[in-house]
Amino acid sequence: MFKKILLATSGAPSTFGAARVAFDMAKRYGAEVVVFNVMGVPTKAFSQLVNDVRTGEEIEVDDEYRAWVEEELKSTFEKQIESVEYAKIVTTTGVPSREILRAARAEDADLIVMGASSGDSSAYRKGYPGSTLQRVAKAARCPVMTVHRETASYWGGFGNIVFATDFSKQAENAFKFALNSAKELGCDLTLFHALDISGKVLDQNAIEDKLIEARTRIRETYGPLMGDFKDFDIEVWEGVPYVEVVKIARERSADLIVLAHHSRELDPELASLGSTLEQVILRAGCPVVSVSKPDKV
Amino acid sequence: MSKKILIIDDDQEIRSYLSELLGDNGYETVTANDGAEAVEIAKAEKPDLITLDLEMPNEWGPRFYRKISQDDALKRTPVVVISGLNAIKYAIPKAIASLTKPFEPAQLLKIVKDAIG
Repeated sequence: MFKKILLATSGAPSTFGAARVAFDMAKRYGAEVVVFNVMGVPTKAFSQLVNDVRTGEEIEVDDEYRAWVEEELKSTFEKQIESVEYAKIVTTTGVPSREILRAARAEDADLIVMGASSGDSSAYRKGYPGSTLQRVAKAARCPVMTVHRETASYWGGFGNIVFATDFSKQAENAFKFALNSAKELGCDLTLFHALDISGKVLDQNAIEDKLIEARTRIRETYGPLMGDFKDFDIEVWEGVPYVEVVKIARERSADLIVLAHHSRELDPELASLGSTLEQVILRAGCPVVSVSKPDKV
Repeated sequence: MSKKILIIDDDQEIRSYLSELLGDNGYETVTANDGAEAVEIAKAEKPDLITLDLEMPNEWGPRFYRKISQDDALKRTPVVVISGLNAIKYAIPKAIASLTKPFEPAQLLKIVKDAIG
């Protein structure tokens, strides 16, 4: 299922969590890791002058600079590269999101693993994923796994997957990915819906009626698709959706959260990262997979 | 009767160091070298406290913790995380303490004494 993992990394510490998960997955599931780094963004089209993605300095890309970047990456991930059977380093220049998507397509990657943002800007760390992730998550043909906090509770293998649904059309692809992963990796699967009651004052009977309704809806929507898979359970809680998704993942010691990339916009070319997904990515204690397109699930 | 502590770590040096340190301070110790082995030992020995490493060859610490938290006899056993990884306090939020290697022996002894006497 995960034969080739594209680890998109700037080599900065903010991507170490993503690297740990990518390499450990590769070790456990016999996958190949492509360590992919965009060295710099050309100052002009096809220019040899680039702005280094880490320092922002203007640099001329020559063999010496390429060799230096590769050496840096090699020494940063030295132990991890040694721990897996197949790994290679690929570097390039260009706009990071476009190059990551291009590489994923060229390598026929089954999964892209990346951090949420590489900057140290507190705005990014607190509230928003970076623009590269936004663009990659939207357009990638394969699922995109984000590891924002290095504390991710994925510590050696997957055992428990939480799939959060809002019953949208887009959640179907995410569900397929969650179910296939659970089957293949022998995990428990929790189907979860958070009943959004933020900003509302509701009668408790009304809340509980809606919870019962949502449980029935999950059973009816996903039950028939389960086939012979039995290790699943259904949970519905009320609250603010992103908080509840993070909470259930923590309570279940989940190793993976799976969500649709977006829910409102039907045309995937127009949809931006859903606000719930955005917040779950930044807050979850485990890797989060977003699924935008059905091609690779 | 002396209190029993289960030490889980894949590093032989750390296991013997902790056994000696805790043994010298009046605790009985048992050891396990990874999470998978530790589940069996925990069930058989019913320790009063567990020191837990996070990164181990077969079964990692958090997965061991998940297993014992489903076991009625073990779910209330206090756990002290001792690991070389960063930001480890988030890996097992219910642990009574998280120490990063290298740690101060006095600090560990105080945590253990406060927890189980």
